[in-house]
Amino acid sequence: AGTMTGDIAPKSGRRVVVIGGGWGGSTAARYIRIADPTIEVVLLEPNREFVSCPFSNLVLSGQRSIESLTLSYGGLRARGVKIIHELATAIEPDTKRVRIGEGYLAYDRLVVSPGVDFQWEQVEGLAAARDTVLHAWKAGPQTVQLAAQIQSMPDGGVFVLTVPRVAYRCPPGPYERICQVAWYLKGNKPKSKVIVLDANPNIVSKTGLFRAAWRAYPNIDYRASQKVVAVDTSTREVRTEFDRVKYDVLNLIPPQRAGAIAVQADLVGADKRWCEVDHVTYESVKQKNIHVIGDATIGLPVPKSGNVANNMGKAAALSIVSLLNGQAVPLMPPGNTCYSWVSDREAIAVVNAYKIENGKVVQIEQKLTPAQSVSVAQRAEGWRQSIWADMLS
Amino acid sequence: RAAGPLDDPGFAKVITCAACHGANGNSGSDMMPIISGLDPAYFKRQIENYAAGKRPSPEMEPYAKEVQFLGADQIAAYFAAQKRVPTPIRVSAEAAARGKTIAAQCVVCHGPDGKGEAARLIPGLAGQPPGYLAQQMALFKGDTRDPGDPLLAAKKALMKIIPDGQFADLAAYYSSLR
Ligand SMILES: Cc1cc2nc3c(=O)[nH]c(=O)nc-3n(C[C@H](O)[C@H](O)[C@H](O)COP(=O)(O)OP(=O)(O)OC[C@H]3O[C@@H](n4cnc5c(N)ncnc54)[C@H](O)[C@@H]3O)c2cc1C
Ligand code: HEC
Ligand code: HEC
Repeated sequence: AGTMTGDIAPKSGRRVVVIGGGWGGSTAARYIRIADPTIEVVLLEPNREFVSCPFSNLVLSGQRSIESLTLSYGGLRARGVKIIHELATAIEPDTKRVRIGEGYLAYDRLVVSPGVDFQWEQVEGLAAARDTVLHAWKAGPQTVQLAAQIQSMPDGGVFVLTVPRVAYRCPPGPYERICQVAWYLKGNKPKSKVIVLDANPNIVSKTGLFRAAWRAYPNIDYRASQKVVAVDTSTREVRTEFDRVKYDVLNLIPPQRAGAIAVQADLVGADKRWCEVDHVTYESVKQKNIHVIGDATIGLPVPKSGNVANNMGKAAALSIVSLLNGQAVPLMPPGNTCYSWVSDREAIAVVNAYKIENGKVVQIEQKLTPAQSVSVAQRAEGWRQSIWADMLS
Repeated sequence: RAAGPLDDPGFAKVITCAACHGANGNSGSDMMPIISGLDPAYFKRQIENYAAGKRPSPEMEPYAKEVQFLGADQIAAYFAAQKRVPTPIRVSAEAAARGKTIAAQCVVCHGPDGKGEAARLIPGLAGQPPGYLAQQMALFKGDTRDPGDPLLAAKKALMKIIPDGQFADLAAYYSSLR
């Protein structure tokens, strides 16, 4: 970074720039190339490799390695996506440019899929402690560090996990994580326990299925409506509105908002957190020619999931191709399936299908697996394989 | 602008399917069926049965309703037109050979090469992933796939007398056919 000045890559034909090579951005870049390879696609992503958040809770229980969740961008490159491993630092909607430090890139249309950033300031003491108090809510080094902390915790130690109030990335994610850590501790540190401080009044997603799964884990102490307001790493203590709780290992999942670039570019609404978009094209309601997808969005009746980000990536890509070619945009409702692992071999799932009515996404139906099972876990593996290929191959 | 997949209006209607069934319906995993090249009438029958809850599947019931909303005819035609790529999953040659000796009972419906018979709504089994095939056999045997459907009475009667232990071999055999 910092070495780039001026027009980094002068634009000759039609170009789409994609900010963020995660679940939404990779898919969008890939599908633009599939649908119309005459359109140039430039993807900005600081990370050299893709690390999957889905399945990363299994790293905490030792069922999977982080390497097994780390994927190459080679498939996108082979499709002609130009990848620049840099952070977009600003967006200039009027001149249709993305800034990268001193340099810039021109676009015809822009896709913004920056995921989430954390609201450190919402928890007293967190901003100063953010390198040692782990979130592990972006799969990568923090996932590995948290796994190591859990492994080296003494038997009898207390693992505290805090869940922010909705809306946050992956509604069932914290509860899957609780299952995985409780499963590991039950077998390896039987005197240890998991204390859950949930800012929400109840388990946010798949409530009954998680409750049923937790019957196998008497080591879980679940406390609802306990919003964390402060953390003190010197006394190893978190404070809620009502209580103080000591920890040996802390996993504090902070409140979240759209990735910083979306805030900086004024794509967020009055709450300064999330971006409102058109339900058909994902074009920002605030800025023309900029399409926002994935966790950064709000207003659709969909969860912040990888599967939804993937579907939004396709819908945005095919909308953009249609618009650039002067054709009608087809209606492409999203869809969602979230598998959660409740032990080393069993999983549960929630499935949502949608339609588009009068320009708005409406849910057709939500369905849960009747119970946890090995066969659901096998289908989760199938989903993982297919959707990874759908983003990156 | 070059000709592209968007020229087929079905393409934009099936974006949600690839997360499980793979590119163009060619699933590469063990438990998700390949849906490319399926006969349209068979395809639509499955969509109707899923949507009605007769073929119970927490994944497919919502998606089947989405298919009905977007237009089942067009989506069935889209997948029927996709070239079928057999599963990449390899089975043991011994299991496939054992399966072949038992499969004589299936030929009358699924054909000598496992390609099925579209006119009788009988699907091809050749090249489907083995895990999926074995699981469906168990579902027929337990009468949980389309319980009580008269069209399937003969098939289920046969399934009931096949020991569970033979499903994996039958699945290996049909999965290995090309
Ligand atoms: C523990 C856990 C488990 C989960 N399990 C599941 C699951 O089982 N199923 C499921 O569907 N979802 C799951 N999710 C949710 C899923 O990971 C997210 O919903 C998904 O990653 C959202 O995609 P996105 O594109 O919005 O963001 P991301 O995938 O986070 O991608 C954003 C990318 O943008 C890049 N970026 C950010 N700012 C810039 C910038 N200024 N310039 C350039 N690049 C930038 C980042 O480096 C990042 O790579 C899980 C999440 C977690 C944390
Ligand atoms: C989240 C996973 C998932 C998604 C997404 C999904 N399916 Fe399926 N599909 C499955 C599973 C699992 C089965 C097998 C279920 C069973 O046991 O009957 C299946 C079975 C099918 C079958 C029956 C195949 C056969 O040989 O009988 C059809 C047809 C089908 N799906 C079509 C679709 C279409 C069309 C879409 C998208 C609109 C779609 N599916 C989306 C998981 C999925
Ligand atoms: C009497 C006819 C008949 C016989 C005999 C028969 N089948 Fe079938 N089979 C069918 C029909 C019809 C279907 C489709 C059911 C539906 O529409 O739901 C089917 C479906 C299947 C499927 C599911 C395929 C899919 O894509 O979902 C499997 C697996 C299968 N059969 C295996 C077998 C095996 C193995 C045998 C022999 C041991 C056998 N069948 C014998 C008629 C038959």
